[in-house]
Amino acid sequence: FLSFQNGAAFSKVRGSQSGQDSTRWHVVRKFLGLISSHNIPVYLIDPLILGLVDKDIEQIRSSPDGPSPQCKYFCAPRDFTTFALLDKTWKHEVGLFRTAEKMGFQWLKILNKDPRLDGMDDLSGMEIPLHYIFKLASHAIHVVVFYERNGNYLWHGPLRLKHHMDRKFVPFRKLHFGRYPGAYEKPELLHVSIDDLKVQIPKNPSGFLEEMSHSRFLECRYREARAFFQLYPDDASLDAVEFRKKAKSLLHLAALTLNNLGVKFWLSSGTCLGWYRQCNVIPHSKDVDLGIFIRDYKAEIIPAFQKAGLPLKHKFGKVEDSLELSFQGEDDVKLDIFFFYEEDDHIWNGGTQAKSGKKFKYLFPKFTLCWTEFVELKVHVPCETLQYVEANYGPEWKVPVKTWDWKSSPSNVQDNGVWPIDEWDNVIQIY
Amino acid sequence: MEEWKPNPAVKPHKKRSWYLAWKYKLMNQRALRKLCQTGAVLFLLVTVIVNIKLILDTRRAAYEEEEESAQDYDDEMLNVEVPRHPVNNKKVLDVEVYSSRSKVYVAVDGTTVLEDEAREQGRGIHVIVLNQATGHVMAKRVFDTYSPHEDEAMVLFLNMVARGRILIFTIKDEGSFHLKDTAKNVLKSLGSQVAPFLSWRDMWTFVGKKGGEVYGEKHAKSPALSTWGDPVLLKTEVHLTSVEDAECHWPDTELNRRRKRFCSKVEGYGSVCSCKDPTPIEFNPDPLKDNKVFDVPVAVIAGNRPNYLYRMLRSLLSAQGVNPQMITVFIDGYYEEPMDVVELFGLSGIQHTPISIKNARVSQHYKASLTATFNLFPDAKFAVVLEEDLDISVDFFSFLSQSIHLLEEDESLYCISAWNDQGYEHTAEDPSLLYRVETMPGLGWVLRKSLYKDELEPKWPTPEKLWDWDMWMRMPEQRKGRECIIPDISRSYHFGIVGLNMNGYFHEAYFKKHKFNTVPNVQLKNVESLRKDAYETEIHRLLGEAEVLDHSKNPCEDSFVPDTEGKVYVMFIRMEQEADFTTWTQLAKCLHIWDLDVRGNHKGLWRLFRKKNHFLVVGVPSSPYSSKKPSSVTPIYLEPPAKEEGAVAVPAVAAAEQT
Repeated sequence: FLSFQNGAAFSKVRGSQSGQDSTRWHVVRKFLGLISSHNIPVYLIDPLILGLVDKDIEQIRSSPDGPSPQCKYFCAPRDFTTFALLDKTWKHEVGLFRTAEKMGFQWLKILNKDPRLDGMDDLSGMEIPLHYIFKLASHAIHVVVFYERNGNYLWHGPLRLKHHMDRKFVPFRKLHFGRYPGAYEKPELLHVSIDDLKVQIPKNPSGFLEEMSHSRFLECRYREARAFFQLYPDDASLDAVEFRKKAKSLLHLAALTLNNLGVKFWLSSGTCLGWYRQCNVIPHSKDVDLGIFIRDYKAEIIPAFQKAGLPLKHKFGKVEDSLELSFQGEDDVKLDIFFFYEEDDHIWNGGTQAKSGKKFKYLFPKFTLCWTEFVELKVHVPCETLQYVEANYGPEWKVPVKTWDWKSSPSNVQDNGVWPIDEWDNVIQIY
Repeated sequence: MEEWKPNPAVKPHKKRSWYLAWKYKLMNQRALRKLCQTGAVLFLLVTVIVNIKLILDTRRAAYEEEEESAQDYDDEMLNVEVPRHPVNNKKVLDVEVYSSRSKVYVAVDGTTVLEDEAREQGRGIHVIVLNQATGHVMAKRVFDTYSPHEDEAMVLFLNMVARGRILIFTIKDEGSFHLKDTAKNVLKSLGSQVAPFLSWRDMWTFVGKKGGEVYGEKHAKSPALSTWGDPVLLKTEVHLTSVEDAECHWPDTELNRRRKRFCSKVEGYGSVCSCKDPTPIEFNPDPLKDNKVFDVPVAVIAGNRPNYLYRMLRSLLSAQGVNPQMITVFIDGYYEEPMDVVELFGLSGIQHTPISIKNARVSQHYKASLTATFNLFPDAKFAVVLEEDLDISVDFFSFLSQSIHLLEEDESLYCISAWNDQGYEHTAEDPSLLYRVETMPGLGWVLRKSLYKDELEPKWPTPEKLWDWDMWMRMPEQRKGRECIIPDISRSYHFGIVGLNMNGYFHEAYFKKHKFNTVPNVQLKNVESLRKDAYETEIHRLLGEAEVLDHSKNPCEDSFVPDTEGKVYVMFIRMEQEADFTTWTQLAKCLHIWDLDVRGNHKGLWRLFRKKNHFLVVGVPSSPYSSKKPSSVTPIYLEPPAKEEGAVAVPAVAAAEQT
């Protein structure tokens, strides 16, 4: 591994530069030694370091083994350095902790229940490790454990201390990961040498940092969904099974298409209600509903869906006002895409009645987007789901309704005038 | 047990939902008056339905209670999890043991650790093992020594219990009829003075330390053949030893720590807890070269049969190419002991809150387990599904590694199974030979994720359907004409004797003589010929080469097949249409193979071995291979026997057995 001389060299450097501290560098070096001696692959996800690395990424990529003239990244005095560990790449073993102790590390393991066992079945398994903290002297290494989940993404858990744990072990509030659970794409990794330490980093650090800024993940409310099905037994008819299958594949196709375009979308209306209330597609809902912020609108959306085999069924409104697209999926299942317009204190989307040219407006309180898993897909939903669903369906959203009129049933609908006749050709297109 | 019965709490829920739905309708409709009328009628109807359902349920529950199969999937009354006895640093335990005709109980320091007053159940000698340092219950067994061979099982069990443990015995109803001298001597060696003289309908209780002192014994003789001895109640004190004395002093390793934890909690696992020479709990079998199933998750479906699970996991972990990290044991219920076994082997175990009853409960457990498996291993394209009462062949993973690509590439395949329904000692011969069959054998098989996720999971039978999951999977709606690949010689062995749908007689008749491969590293022959079209070519080649047997002879006789080895013979039986199995069933019966339903067929063709010759049976004219029949040969017809008592009843019950 790395010779001690390098460290000594940095110590000298440190003397000449204020605000530098080689303690951190030494602790990181020791930690990397520890995990490589146990063949545990970790990668660096520390946002502060990745931010610095990103500025020099070209240079770092071009000379992955080059010596560093000075300690640029690992010497800024910080309480933590954060690494990621893919659960499936290592075997939980006690040996690691014994070695760590011998090296002088104090360590803390944060366990919690395995969300992959959450579901409509009541399963309980052993708790799984979500976070590790290795502390040496004044520096701590935070290891975030990532798990692969159904939907081809990585998940990390929240960091919650149990009552018997040492709350002062490290300043937990300052940690960059663990306030919420998070969902990420599987990153491509790059072996690099920075500050003479060989580490793996995400190949695209700025992309990772961007992802991190909105990575919050919400678990489906399986317990409530089970209670819901106790009250309203699930429709197990063949029609229901068939519809769910079609809706699922339509949603997968829509997600693929929009993700390829880089257009952010979320589950809206009935599809969102289905996720929130019963963790499944509502079998009598007849369509799949998605929301997209109008600022994310791209003209390529329509051709992309057509190319994917989903012809445009109708287009109401225009980009400036009340845009709404509807595509025809397999058989009778259609895909509705509503575009959302942001105002100072609320967000709205529009509706249009084709025969009368009447306009409607559906108001929602402001919301942000979170990730969730739905029908084996990582998708966005409004983080403030309850407010969103209540705005749309009123306080009685828990009760299934089979007859729904989009013009009068929603509790957040407002009349919004009528389209001028001369615009009809443009704002009411039916195919 | 109460919790797992058709849950009384469910019914009020259902009523409630009806009520809510109705109430909801009330609020939403305008024509209130009309609705009130319909509502009233509806309410009446609902009440009637609910009541009928209630009556039916109660009757069903009562009926189930009467059924013989006391040894259920949930192991019914006898193995109710008992709160482990508190320690409290006390040095002395008060023990109470009661023996009578209709009830037994054991209380330790006031806590009831055994209570059995069920009618028609729990006859024989009840044995409880306590940890001599903590007083915890380590094992509970009942041996029905009124019946034959149970005393042998008891001796086996008592021999396995470590020295120093506290043993408590009590008889319910009758425990002497088949209690042979060997067993009596073992009891005597434990310090019992009464055991050698135990006789018909005596009541008896005994508390002693294995290899040590006797804490008490009470006995009441039966005065006459027709009556029972008076109930006896033994009250005694047991002195606890130090924890040190109750443990073995194995070297302090990670493995031994697991062993220690296990051995201080449970008893009855033999040499795994031996102080001197404990049997290993890590096996490190040879890895497989180019193992295609190393990353395939393995789901072990378990109930509350921890001794079975122990045996099963040992064989699984000894199989070459096993990857323990991919194994998950799914336990149907919050039973402690199966979980202890899982932890002993360092595997991961998941407990599932049981849903529904009987077959439906098993089905729901399967579904939950399969769903969880694909959640835990989202990358997996397949899952291996095993059950807790299977031995796994040493080349199980090698067999799968060589064949799994077929399941990936050939869409006409439904599964790969390690089990050949027709592979008995006298009908299976070639460990390198594979077949395609239209039936799904289960008992150690590979499931494709896409099949599960896209087809099976969405329409899996709901809890109220009392269906066997495997019978459901065999239905044409699910199987859709697809086939499974099986070996000639099974790579799993079904050793379970107690269980849902399973009993000693049934096991003896249909499972005991099943052939099980013990040869490591078998190179499978001609795997590519198992693909859909290639297999037809192969069959035609085989039939072309086959010698037609003498159809004037009786096919049930041994002499039907010449005394040769390694030849291929064919016979033709009558089979009027695809579903006409009259002659086949009779043939299967006389060949002593699986005859309870039709298994192992491929387009009206069965393949097996007789006297070490490959033996083909073609159903004429239904089978497309009928064209191979020489015109001179008349297909054999075997008449079903006239309905007789007994013989018919078994198949009817047992049609669903084989899981």
